[in-house]
Amino acid sequence: MNYSPASALARVFSSFTSMGKKYGVEWWILVAGAAIVLGIVFMAAFPDIFTPFNPYDQAAGPQLAPPGGAHLMGTDNLRRDVWARIVFGSQTILRVSVLAAIISSMIGISMGLLSGFSGGILDRILSLIMDSVYVFPGLILAIAFAAMFGPGVINITLAVSVIYIPTYFRLVRGQTLSIKQELYVEAARAIGASSTTILWEYIFPNVIATTVVVFTLNVADAIMIEAALTYLGLGLPPSVVDWGMDLAMGKKFLPSGQWWLITFPGLMISLLALGFTMLGEGLAEILNPRLLER
Amino acid sequence: MKSIKLFVFSMVLACLTILPTQGFAAEQALVYGTTEKVIDMDPANAYDFHTWEIFYNIYQGLLRYPPGETNLVPGLAESYEISADGKEYTFTLRQGLKFTDGSHFDATAVKWSIDRVMALKGDPSWLVTDFVDHVDVVDTYKVKFILKNPVAYFPSLAASPPYYPVNPNIYPKDKIVRDPTELKGGKLVGLGPYKVVSFKRDQEIVMDANPGFYGEKAKNDRVVIRYFADATTMRLALEKGEIDIAFKSLNPSDIKDLQKSDKVQTITAQGPYIRYLCFCCANEPFDNKVLRQAVAAAINRPPLLEKVFLGQNAPLYSMVPMGMWSHIDAFKDAYGDGNMDKVKELLKSQGYSESNKLEFELWYTPSHYGDTEVDLAAVLQQQLNATGVIKADVKSAEWATYRDNWSNKVMSAFLLGWYPDYIDPDNYTAAFGGTAGSAGLGIYFSDAAWDKKFNEGQTETDMKKRTAIYHEIQNNWADEVPTAPIFQGTLYVFAQKNIKGILLSPTLQFNYGPIERVK
Amino acid sequence: MRHLAKYIITRILLTIPMVLILLSIVFLVLRIMPGDPVSSMLGGHAPEKVIEQKKQELGLNEPMAVQYVSYLWQVAHLDLGESMVFKQRVTTAIADKLPATIELTACGMIITLILGVFLGAYAADRRRQVQDSMIRLYGIVIYCIPVYWLGLMLQLIFGIWLDVLPIAGRTGPRVFASTFEQTGFYLIDTLLIRDFAAMKDVMIHLTLPAFTLGLTLSGIFIRLTRANMLDVLKSDYIVAAEARGIRHRRIVYRHALKNAFIPILTMMGLQVALLMAGAILTETTFSWPGMGRLLLERIYLRDYPTIQGVIIVFALIVAGVSLVVDIIYAMIDPRIRY
Repeated sequence: MNYSPASALARVFSSFTSMGKKYGVEWWILVAGAAIVLGIVFMAAFPDIFTPFNPYDQAAGPQLAPPGGAHLMGTDNLRRDVWARIVFGSQTILRVSVLAAIISSMIGISMGLLSGFSGGILDRILSLIMDSVYVFPGLILAIAFAAMFGPGVINITLAVSVIYIPTYFRLVRGQTLSIKQELYVEAARAIGASSTTILWEYIFPNVIATTVVVFTLNVADAIMIEAALTYLGLGLPPSVVDWGMDLAMGKKFLPSGQWWLITFPGLMISLLALGFTMLGEGLAEILNPRLLER
Repeated sequence: MKSIKLFVFSMVLACLTILPTQGFAAEQALVYGTTEKVIDMDPANAYDFHTWEIFYNIYQGLLRYPPGETNLVPGLAESYEISADGKEYTFTLRQGLKFTDGSHFDATAVKWSIDRVMALKGDPSWLVTDFVDHVDVVDTYKVKFILKNPVAYFPSLAASPPYYPVNPNIYPKDKIVRDPTELKGGKLVGLGPYKVVSFKRDQEIVMDANPGFYGEKAKNDRVVIRYFADATTMRLALEKGEIDIAFKSLNPSDIKDLQKSDKVQTITAQGPYIRYLCFCCANEPFDNKVLRQAVAAAINRPPLLEKVFLGQNAPLYSMVPMGMWSHIDAFKDAYGDGNMDKVKELLKSQGYSESNKLEFELWYTPSHYGDTEVDLAAVLQQQLNATGVIKADVKSAEWATYRDNWSNKVMSAFLLGWYPDYIDPDNYTAAFGGTAGSAGLGIYFSDAAWDKKFNEGQTETDMKKRTAIYHEIQNNWADEVPTAPIFQGTLYVFAQKNIKGILLSPTLQFNYGPIERVK
Repeated sequence: MRHLAKYIITRILLTIPMVLILLSIVFLVLRIMPGDPVSSMLGGHAPEKVIEQKKQELGLNEPMAVQYVSYLWQVAHLDLGESMVFKQRVTTAIADKLPATIELTACGMIITLILGVFLGAYAADRRRQVQDSMIRLYGIVIYCIPVYWLGLMLQLIFGIWLDVLPIAGRTGPRVFASTFEQTGFYLIDTLLIRDFAAMKDVMIHLTLPAFTLGLTLSGIFIRLTRANMLDVLKSDYIVAAEARGIRHRRIVYRHALKNAFIPILTMMGLQVALLMAGAILTETTFSWPGMGRLLLERIYLRDYPTIQGVIIVFALIVAGVSLVVDIIYAMIDPRIRY
């Protein structure tokens, strides 16, 4: 057998294309999304590869220099390099949105399992609360929380995570309810399996597949909310490098022609959100076709 | 059927696009754009410069500053006399003046208004209650103010809006008025060169020239103040010729572009508005004056202004602003700018070094002073840290929390700004350095000798002696450094090229009367 | 009919706990915050005594439970209290700004519908072809573009570079709203006084913000319409129409769309929440004097009663719309009955 890197690459490539043929356009959407996400994550993890400048350095270059030369995306009014701020800003946004999604999912899934499984009054009350929060515009709730908690990475993460708990709750509860009725669960109960066993070994694994998809879409949404909050001036102190804040600060320079201050941060937010969305949508179609076509 | 509907729809659309966009014969009016906001239309509670500016034009004081000047001349009062002990001021009022609703103006109105201000205890009421004991009506047109102590600058106090007489028939005695709709008759009624025709908060105020005004008639018939929510829109409106004047507050980048533009004219004046760094002198580390001196020495004003304001505004080396009599560049003489050697020397003498840095939190408030504050703090931090012996962390709090924080001594170093209440060095010094004022602003500096000096400055009437007193105060300031001045604001008014008569005075009093549009 | 009436009543009754929960969340959230609002509101010169007195006045010294009950009582009477920072009733402040937001949201919704529905129908028609993929891609991409960034870019292009549209406010600097304002809905107000020049000005100012809002949410409607259309296009009567030889375009855009439209209409109600969230961001970008801007302004000023009031109004609107939508859906779809 031939194990050279070239042939390995060739095999990866051919498996890609065969998947593509099998699933069609959704596969390529997934691949594109994954590529974007991985690219940006890589940039966040190894920023020094991407830029020699420090995002806080107020003497990186001339003031308000347009893109070009040493400054790929220009400089801002405090003479900081914009590309450096983009690279380091990715850390902030990824950190907040992924962490928020993790917190949401952990709380939402466990509550959904509990509620769906126990039923009764607890289920009713929890469902009512969750439904009310679910219907409410997430951004407004996030704004309220962020304004009250004050600026800080932990605060904004918490503010963002609260909004998505109902999403996981509803999904998992619904699934739990239907799986609970399945024959094999009844059978397990008949054998004498404990509730914890049933929850953990029968219900949970079945629920996981769908939550993965929701998780990626959740991250995409969390990215949008995080950027919106910081754009509004809530959630993070200005000493943290963040795309949303750079957008807000660059807004003033719009009529003066310094377009690069807002074009690039906005582009990156869109790109990152798009990456996760495409990943999620692609996964959804492949794992369970027509799942999301409500 | 469908095609008829389409036809009608497109005709309507076509008609609408053809019609011109001028509604409400607005071409003649002078439109003055601003991003400021009106809070309360009540001299008893208004304490912001924009509302005061409106009052200068729709109301009048007993004394006033002519447009663009800093010397007081008679206003509603023709003359005044001071008693020998300096505690009684008797004003002789002009006769035959009427409010815009026809009611007569006399000494009773003056007393009524002052009593109202004292009773309502609004934000600026201290400008009256700290100085005035009570007011007596001597005659229909003679009113006497009895002061608690002699005050050298009382006349300039009397020219400020809290002292403005209001119409007793219109204003409620027992509550503060926010909107004109709360007044009897629903309209603002005054004695000034303009009267308010329509008012919509945060949108516009339409004012027409008042034919019954006792002074020079306004050169224009109608002035409209148009409120903009953000500077960018205002700048664009000015460039497109949609508004005639734009004043307060444009972004530094807008100011820079407009200054270069040949479509608009720029009028600048040195503003009386100062920005400075405060220290909490009650707690560590800044209870130690050497450390305060060190931080003051580290501030490098010119590059800071270059970065944050694109070079606008002026470096300030004393709490008393430039243009005010008695100003000296005390801090420049003592420290200069970005004096790294001095910083290191001072800090090392207190035991700090590169391995043992002076650490503290530098606070600012993100929106109260405009959105350049973020940048100001960032640049200042960088300057302080660049010394190598300081480690400053930047923190922020919204205005409400900020005020809480300074009362609770939470902030060791914080940025503050000051617009004067009255034009006198006392307002720039005692307010921060006197025991009472200092505590009120979270600085907590207290020195009995200083208090004595401030008192001397307040009561002394000889100008030469007062100047000497304030020189001494400023030099002491550079030594003790309860606060370190950073810059003084420059006022920028932009207008279309065909607008004449914009007179901006350092008192920030902007009169609309002299403005006219020439062909 | 009796079934329907019973459903409506049940549904209304169910709305009450939802509203209560939302109100409670708002109440709780607003009391976790740091910073004492009263002392800062009264200014640096206020002595302790006055601060205490004001706190007493505002009922901030009462135990939480008491505050909660009186809060609910007030809201039930449609009294949202008085602003802590200005001498203004919260309901007045909100009533002043609400029409602006509604006008913006309504226009945004119209654009979203038009764009979303037609592009969705077209995509369904061209299923699995290039156009379908392109439109679906557009749907995903447009959703990921932050509405405020889209707004800024449109401002840059149309307001600054091309200079054909205004970038902020509801009226131009020389159009004085105080002269025609009655309902607060400027399109109606200008129509009422027949000032068509002002109406044109108002419409021009609505263009960019409404488009920005409408574009961002069009993606969702594309997907919705497409899915519904795909179902409808498979039904028998469509096949029959084709067999009868009716023109294809007529079938798709007249018959099929009409039937796919009803669920879309009800979906509209659920999107109101998203629209309002988007409206807040659009308002800040375009300096639109609506509820969103009011909320943010008062957040900076720590004006708790107004912040609370605005969120309550948003919550009530959401609850109200979802109630109406459910009822309409029940009326239309006989399968749904409680």
